[in-house]
Amino acid sequence: MILLLPLVIPVVGAGLLLLFHNPRAATRAALLLGAVEIAAISAVIRQVHLRGAVEEGRYLRADGLSAFFLVGIAFISALVLLYSSGYLRHTGEGRFSSPRWFYALCFLFLFTMISVCLSANLGLLWIMMEGTTLASALLVGFYNTEGAVEAGWKYLIVCTVGIAFALFGTIVLYLAGVKAGMSPAAALDWLALKNAAPHVGLDPHLVKLAFVFVLVGYGTKVGFVPMHSWLPDAHAEAPTPISALLSAVLLNCAVYAVIRFDAIVSAAAGPGFPHSLLLLFGVMSLVVAGLLILVQRNLKRLMAYSSIEHMGIIAIGLGLGGPLGLFGALLHTFNHSVAKSLLFFGAGNIRHNLSTLRMEGIRGIARSLPQTSAALVIGGLAIVGLPPFSLFVSEFAILSEAFGGAHYFVAVLFLIILSVVFGGFAHHLLGMLCGEPDRRAESSRLIPSEYTAMGIAAVCLVWFGARIPSTFGDLLRDAMAVLR
Amino acid sequence: MKIVLDLAQVLLIVLCAPLVRGIIARGKALLQRRQGASIWRPYAELIKLFRKEELVPPTSSAIFRAAPAVLFGATVCAAAFIPVLHASALMASRGDFFLLVYLLALARFFLSLGALDGGSAFGGMGASREALVSSLAEAPFLLGLAAVAILAHRAELAGIVAWTLEQNVFDISAVHMLALTSLAMVTLAETGRMPVDNPTTHLELTMIHEGMVLEYSGPSLALVEWSAGIKLHLMLALLVALFFPWGMASPNSSWGMAAALLLYFAKLAVLMALVSVIESAMAKLRMYLVPDFLGVASAVSALAVIFTVLVKR
Amino acid sequence: MGLVGIASGKVLSSFSVFLFLTILLLAVARRISTSVLLFSLQSAVITAEVLATAIQEKLAEAWVVGLLVFVIKVVAIPRAFFVLTGRLKTVRDVKASTTPTQSVFIVALMIYLSYAGVHSYGQAVHVPDDALAAAVALILTGAFLMVSRTKAIMQMLGLLVLENGIFLAALITTFGMPLVIEIGIFFDILMGLLLMGIFTFRISDTFDHLDVSKLRRLRG
Repeated sequence: MILLLPLVIPVVGAGLLLLFHNPRAATRAALLLGAVEIAAISAVIRQVHLRGAVEEGRYLRADGLSAFFLVGIAFISALVLLYSSGYLRHTGEGRFSSPRWFYALCFLFLFTMISVCLSANLGLLWIMMEGTTLASALLVGFYNTEGAVEAGWKYLIVCTVGIAFALFGTIVLYLAGVKAGMSPAAALDWLALKNAAPHVGLDPHLVKLAFVFVLVGYGTKVGFVPMHSWLPDAHAEAPTPISALLSAVLLNCAVYAVIRFDAIVSAAAGPGFPHSLLLLFGVMSLVVAGLLILVQRNLKRLMAYSSIEHMGIIAIGLGLGGPLGLFGALLHTFNHSVAKSLLFFGAGNIRHNLSTLRMEGIRGIARSLPQTSAALVIGGLAIVGLPPFSLFVSEFAILSEAFGGAHYFVAVLFLIILSVVFGGFAHHLLGMLCGEPDRRAESSRLIPSEYTAMGIAAVCLVWFGARIPSTFGDLLRDAMAVLR
Repeated sequence: MKIVLDLAQVLLIVLCAPLVRGIIARGKALLQRRQGASIWRPYAELIKLFRKEELVPPTSSAIFRAAPAVLFGATVCAAAFIPVLHASALMASRGDFFLLVYLLALARFFLSLGALDGGSAFGGMGASREALVSSLAEAPFLLGLAAVAILAHRAELAGIVAWTLEQNVFDISAVHMLALTSLAMVTLAETGRMPVDNPTTHLELTMIHEGMVLEYSGPSLALVEWSAGIKLHLMLALLVALFFPWGMASPNSSWGMAAALLLYFAKLAVLMALVSVIESAMAKLRMYLVPDFLGVASAVSALAVIFTVLVKR
Repeated sequence: MGLVGIASGKVLSSFSVFLFLTILLLAVARRISTSVLLFSLQSAVITAEVLATAIQEKLAEAWVVGLLVFVIKVVAIPRAFFVLTGRLKTVRDVKASTTPTQSVFIVALMIYLSYAGVHSYGQAVHVPDDALAAAVALILTGAFLMVSRTKAIMQMLGLLVLENGIFLAALITTFGMPLVIEIGIFFDILMGLLLMGIFTFRISDTFDHLDVSKLRRLRG
């Protein structure tokens, strides 16, 4: 029962939201709905933390890993809803551009992502993952400009094809299960597969084939490098709150799916093969994205490539394995979400005050937009991994694992690319901050909702950098225990 | 007895050729809701032409006068390789399908030479187009035949037919499907039918085969027209023999022979109806698209050959 | 059972030939309506395969799946495509970036590659090589169509062919997945197509054409 609440509330709420034609009423209803939803998610997390995994029927299960990712989803959704309540005042009118459509689609999007985390059945996981693409496509194309339509189409096509490959991988894994004698229902159930894998003879060739397809498929949604072409466009052309949701929450859900499959495959065919593949994709994403950051001209595209780079770091953490690597990767999913949201919020402000996102055209915002600049500076320092911010902790953990496990090549490459990215961000940010402001900023004050959201994010970055709160640490440990 | 039947097969193909043309023309007319000429009209035309005086361009040489004869001779020879009533042919020998393809090529070559020798501009244009079409059609023709031959482990057409007769008609073979597709396309190209060439056009600039025969008259024209008919009948008979031979009988029973003859005409009727439909339904391809059409045939026939290795049937 | 059983057995052993023909013809088709009809034919062959499997393996669920495939992929989706092309008033040409000859050679190469690829796995899964190769060939052809056909509608069709291939692979190896999952997958595909249709309208409105190769504003 408790698992159904976070799923039913957003769907029903989305339908109800469509009835509020008045924009302000719709916004308030959305905020209320968001609060209720977050309460429901927190209840689930608490239940799982206190009493272990919760099941509902054959298709839903919440264990430590789901709870951990749900924390991220809930926190970032809260920030995004808060920020968007003020942000939407800038959006123009259009047939589908009113706040009620925005929030309705947002909640549908949230529903699909929460379902991904709560799925016990790999088939349902796939269906909901495809659902995230479908739910967010209209959000990416929300502004209906040329760029937005092109980005939305590319997003829809590339991700649907990618997920089709993931379906093939799921089928191959199902086939391996059925061939080894598992019942059809059990052969798609994650827990059954993971527990049975060492005992029942799952054909290692089939399992490895399945993992390749799943990694390519769900990796498309994560944004790993050969399959990342949709990411910069979608994240840049979407409205800012949606960019934050895409970068901070959706990518994490895709990582969640990859982690689930990695667990099964490692149990069935040994961790060597899946982890080497993860390392390969991680290093490719890190290097390519890190280098492309240097030549970016659009602020949001810069952040999108930074997301790809950080997903590469997470993949490296998962690929290195070991307790520190896993700890670092999981912690990084959360830390990156917070920092990326902060950066996107700042970018949104810049867009509305200066009407441009081309970094060459932005000068002197340290003087014209002081609060936004502060946000960008904090976010920028955090995202390149400097202490005292939280990303330093997770990246340090991953780096320790690399050195500890004698993966010197990966470690050195990691450090080099981090320095390159630091240089790139410094160049871009300093360019924007310094100099004479050459456009009059429209309103250099932020409204309460915007700076509350950004403030909370910044505080979180600093706090987690200093020390990880004990509850959060426990949740993290529970998540790691699930995977052992 | 076998020799008599084989000879009868050749005579059947040669003598019924104008009838085939007549039936297809009548079918097209009916599809276009016209009355159409009688199906025996091509015979009347041949008889008329044989009685007419022959006029020869003054600038032409012996080639112009010899070409129709060579054309006719080569085509009739080619007809001697095709099993119609039973799984054997007059000149069947190992590797005879190569000879079939190249006899037809020889015929076409001399026709082109004759057209060039006739000295008219349209003859030259038709000859050059014909050269393009035939050079492109040769590959799928050979490959299609080769694919079926490899599958049957036989090197002569009669042997392939004998092998096919032993197969179960319901076990559809991928090789045969692909070979049939490509050979059907080749048939349309080789016999100058739509969508490659329009046999009833009167616009000289769109002619391929018709352009080459513009200068001929009298008995020469009769031979040329008859050869075109024989070639059409021959190709259709080849398709029937290679892909739908069931019903062909052994030489010993005369009832079996009669049944085989009737069944052959029935299958031929189906093919003729198909040709009429295709000719009426498709528009002629522009010349630069014909290489695409034949390229597709080549790819399909190449795939057929590859499939002989991949598939067990 | 007799005649039906024999017929279903024959369907199971020879349907891959028809699938190869449809993908070869899809490679050369020059009009959108022809391509959609070929897709419809392909789905009909797959429906026959599903029903034959239902008869041979005596699976009740397969009947429902077969009905779903028929209604959705043979009737509903092609009809939706025709309505879409009618409303969009687009030129009927497929706008391929490769000539028909090149396309056919590429598809032929893909068929060969799929045979080569499934050879080792076919033994492991006790499935006839033809059928699995047909599935993989469908997947590869779907991907090829998406890449080489630059009209937005043709990309949708390529995606559908790809999904057909995946569905067929699932059918042959495991006789289908649990019914609920299959229905969910169908629903997802339908929703996806609906969204792609909406986006096609938006592309046509915003750009006045449907050529996705000209959508190159966002680069780098």
